[in-house]
Amino acid sequence: MLSEERIDRFTFQERAVHWLAALSFLYAAFTGLALWSPRLFWLSAVFGGGETIRAWHPWGGLILAVVLGWMFRNWAAQMKLDGDDRIWLKNAHRYATHDEEGLPEASRFNAGQKMLFWVQSICAIILFSSGTVLWFPEAMPRSLRLAAILIHPAAAVVSIGGIIVHIYMGTAAVPEAFRGMIQGQVRGAWAASHHPKWYREVRKR
Amino acid sequence: MSKPPAVAKLIDTSSCIGCKACEVACQEWNDQEFIVGGVGGSYQTLPDLAHNFWNLIKFHEEERDGRMNWHMAKYQCMHCVDPGCLRACPAPGAIVILDNGIVDFNHENCIGCGYCITGCPFDVPRLSPKTNKVYKCTLCSDRVAVSLEPACIKACPTNCLSFGSRADLLGRAERRAEQLRSDGFQNAGVYNPSGVGGTNVIYVLAQADRPEAYGLPKDPRIPWTVALWKGPLKWLGNLVLIGGILGTFFHYVRYGPRRVKNAE
Repeated sequence: MLSEERIDRFTFQERAVHWLAALSFLYAAFTGLALWSPRLFWLSAVFGGGETIRAWHPWGGLILAVVLGWMFRNWAAQMKLDGDDRIWLKNAHRYATHDEEGLPEASRFNAGQKMLFWVQSICAIILFSSGTVLWFPEAMPRSLRLAAILIHPAAAVVSIGGIIVHIYMGTAAVPEAFRGMIQGQVRGAWAASHHPKWYREVRKR
Repeated sequence: MSKPPAVAKLIDTSSCIGCKACEVACQEWNDQEFIVGGVGGSYQTLPDLAHNFWNLIKFHEEERDGRMNWHMAKYQCMHCVDPGCLRACPAPGAIVILDNGIVDFNHENCIGCGYCITGCPFDVPRLSPKTNKVYKCTLCSDRVAVSLEPACIKACPTNCLSFGSRADLLGRAERRAEQLRSDGFQNAGVYNPSGVGGTNVIYVLAQADRPEAYGLPKDPRIPWTVALWKGPLKWLGNLVLIGGILGTFFHYVRYGPRRVKNAE
């Protein structure tokens, strides 16, 4: 019976914002990688050529920044780290190796997801501000450009690294998680197993 | 076929009279209008280089030891042996070093990102708002290719400018500096900054201990932020990207998916 139970994981609005962010992130990341090294410049051909990505990469970043601002409004309150999360993070290696005895139960988002949220939020602020400097090189003082030319790719490496893990977790590593973000619903058993605290709250309502 | 010798331009500031024939010749040959922007209280044509003005004599006045010094130094791309513009450029083939040492921009490959402007220790390249591509002195690579000297050199009336093989001109520059020293300019010397591997545009300065007086940076280097990005950060980034993809893949192979616990 329980396996038939379906509960709402993400509203349509949450999913729409997530996927708008995902698409603009992928665009910004791949066009950014084309500019990361001359050896990856061939990627620019996939997106319309070097001059095209030089013109549109910043707009992709701007759209991403706006969407992430919306996502922040949606989720920031639920992403606060509590005492359990701190214990969880200290034992993150045990989560990774599926040795979960004694790991604190997760609420709607587990501590790993919360960390991803905050890391990406900080990276977004850094990438957006340094990106604005690189967007208009001739209007910016040289000292700012010199800082931005290093900070922008450095923050991008952190951000892309986090998203590689995020995509893995959301697809192969945790079956059904992807369905939750596409269709909005998960099985009760899935929620009870991966997000027990949240599951009990939902059941109480 | 053997490699052609590196070419160079020698600017002997001690014999520059500020006539601006080089500026006019540069504009003429490169089919650009002569702009008269004006700098208040100075003979200088424009405050700085522009996307359509690649050769500018900088006029600097200073009072020193009770005497007036009037420095004139032609400013343009230095054609560095290790160019910062090239280090920063993301587009392959947009900036090239020719066999003869000239650093040239290929505009069909330029994407207009402006990274070269930030990478250049001499602040030389300029973005054209019309074409959204970057322009600078080519050392008349088109003239040099057919054995002509650059336009600015052709026009110079005082032999302040000369063109030839880099090795020859370095020797000539040293001899001229020696001559100036024996004439009483104790600090005369050659400006060929080693921080960028040397340059293919070489200066003789009567006061080589103070290149800033001529509008030249004292110790130009590729900016450390650009060097760090194109050096260690690139390797760290590649490690994160490839390591991330391989790491997650092998995590799956080792631990498999996270199953729903049966208990409830």
